[in-house]
Amino acid sequence: MEGSELTERRISREGLLKLVAAGGGAALIGGPSAVAEAARKQLEQESGRLQVLDWVGYEVKQLYAPYLKKYPGQKPKFTFMTNEADALAKLSAGLKPDVVRPYVGYVPDFADSGFFQPWDPKLIPNLKQLNPSMVKAGQYKGKQWGIPQDWGFDAILYRTDKVKPKAKSWGLLFDDRYKGKIAWFDDLNALVWAGYYLGFKKPYDQSDAELKRSQNLLKSKKKNVRMFWSSETDMQSAFASGDLWIAYAWPADWVAMKAKKLKVAYMYPKEGAISWIGMLMLGKNSPRRQHAHAFANAWSSVQTGTWLENNYGYGHSNAHARPTSKDLISALKLNTPSAITEPHAHIDRDIPRRALYARMWEEVKAS
Amino acid sequence: MRSRLATPGLLGLPLVWLLVFFIVPIGIVGAYSVDALHGPEIFAQAHTVSVDAWTHFFHSSVYLGLFWKSVKMSLIVSLVVVALAYPVAYYLALSGTKRKYVLLLILIAPFLTSYLLRVLAWKVILGNNGVLNSFLAWTGIRSADHPLSQLLYSRFAVMLVLAYVWIPFVALPVFVSLETLDRRLLEAAADLGASRLQAFLRVTLPLSLPGVAAAFLFVFIPTVGEFVTPSLVGGPSGYMYGNQISDLFSTGFPDWETGSVLALFLLGVVTVLTAAFSRFMRIGEVASS
Repeated sequence: MEGSELTERRISREGLLKLVAAGGGAALIGGPSAVAEAARKQLEQESGRLQVLDWVGYEVKQLYAPYLKKYPGQKPKFTFMTNEADALAKLSAGLKPDVVRPYVGYVPDFADSGFFQPWDPKLIPNLKQLNPSMVKAGQYKGKQWGIPQDWGFDAILYRTDKVKPKAKSWGLLFDDRYKGKIAWFDDLNALVWAGYYLGFKKPYDQSDAELKRSQNLLKSKKKNVRMFWSSETDMQSAFASGDLWIAYAWPADWVAMKAKKLKVAYMYPKEGAISWIGMLMLGKNSPRRQHAHAFANAWSSVQTGTWLENNYGYGHSNAHARPTSKDLISALKLNTPSAITEPHAHIDRDIPRRALYARMWEEVKAS
Repeated sequence: MRSRLATPGLLGLPLVWLLVFFIVPIGIVGAYSVDALHGPEIFAQAHTVSVDAWTHFFHSSVYLGLFWKSVKMSLIVSLVVVALAYPVAYYLALSGTKRKYVLLLILIAPFLTSYLLRVLAWKVILGNNGVLNSFLAWTGIRSADHPLSQLLYSRFAVMLVLAYVWIPFVALPVFVSLETLDRRLLEAAADLGASRLQAFLRVTLPLSLPGVAAAFLFVFIPTVGEFVTPSLVGGPSGYMYGNQISDLFSTGFPDWETGSVLALFLLGVVTVLTAAFSRFMRIGEVASS
């Protein structure tokens, strides 16, 4: 099967040149048979389908159509992650993806984890079109570890026909009036947005006393929560069926609920929404390095960016990508990448005491 | 000579199996729990063998509280299920119906479908727009704007679904113990003037107790560590001890040390409980009967 895939594959010009170069080097040393051997090895090195560890929803082919055009019939093989810790657990368990997508706050940690290597920017021509500040956010110790792609917010989705917020605030996720209709995202970040609600200066790096206050607030308001969601599909289905009226959500959820004709709004809390940038990272010792770079290049294209914006309501790092819907632009601030930075929003960042946050969040759930 | 070699030969494979797939993994989990081994971590940390996670566990009201909550939920489920399954098993075993094996097959028919599907089907029934609430709205018992929202994503939902899922498991051991009951004892009881109720209370029930105890354990042990059902229909109030173990190992941020402590504690409690039940309820009799 692998062999037939190999012979049927169309070799791109870039790949061909590489083969020729590799073969040429070998020819100088070992003659024609070595040429054939080197060519075969090179081809084998890049054999098999690209392995991508990504979030559910990002497997649709429209998001990497230029890659499929370059490598027809070679749809990447996707494995799904529910969050960065889950991805890391999968990597530790032996999964060897070529490409993984953590969010910006995790780039340094992932780079230090030993599972990744920096990208070669020369192999990603579309990198020049990406928002420079986002590209910079993907750099660590002078190397390009992350290629910025999707960006957006963590904020509040609510039913306008059922919910009358007292203020544009994270407090809506605690509102006693809507007991049993609220969903929180199952993530240690809950302590962070609780910290913003409580007015702490550094919710990402709270003192012990502050953390305790955030935790106590979450524990005391847990009674109002109907669901801690980790699967976006579950949350959307509960929201669509009326089980939920208020949810900690992403822009794509607003788009999905609008498509279901629900009266919904996406609220940016006055304390600041949390924003994020998805970063493609390259697996260490990836046997499909060329393919991985082509995949990142495809994701960085205007075509992908526009499709992502139009269909998922997420922003894209490609400065030339523009959504067609005015609704989307105004509701999700898609034309203003600066909306994800201070003082408009708090960009997802490294949490120095992440393990402690995680334990405290687990205690909230267990309480 | 041959028979002396045959016993270890026959036992060898299962013992190796147990050793490799049960004892050794438990040892590994034990090593995780004292940080002698460690799981994935984003920040490289220094590791020294310690019992900190155990100390934290026994001093944390949160974990023990959650364990107790799960035990209570499992107890309720097990008792209710045994109470519901007993009459079914009784009817099948003692009514003398010729179709008892057909009925038994119908009873276990849901097992032919996926566990996940059976649990997810309850979401369709219990949701705000689900079958039950739609029926209540249709009959006018409940307004459509105010559905019974406690039906789903609640402790009740978890217990209901667990009970549904486990009823056939409970019915089977009870059925076996009742079917192997010596009917002459019932005839003797009748001859000696016992009413049907007296015969049931003094003969049938005591003799079927080992089956009932086995059935109870069949449900209690898996449900106390259950995490799939609560994660699908439980919501925050239906969150169980098994969910916490699962979360500590995977979601949020991996903390294999604490997760291992929780898992081993559960294993310990279940082992003690099983041993106690086996001793007092003479479960071995079920096998021999």
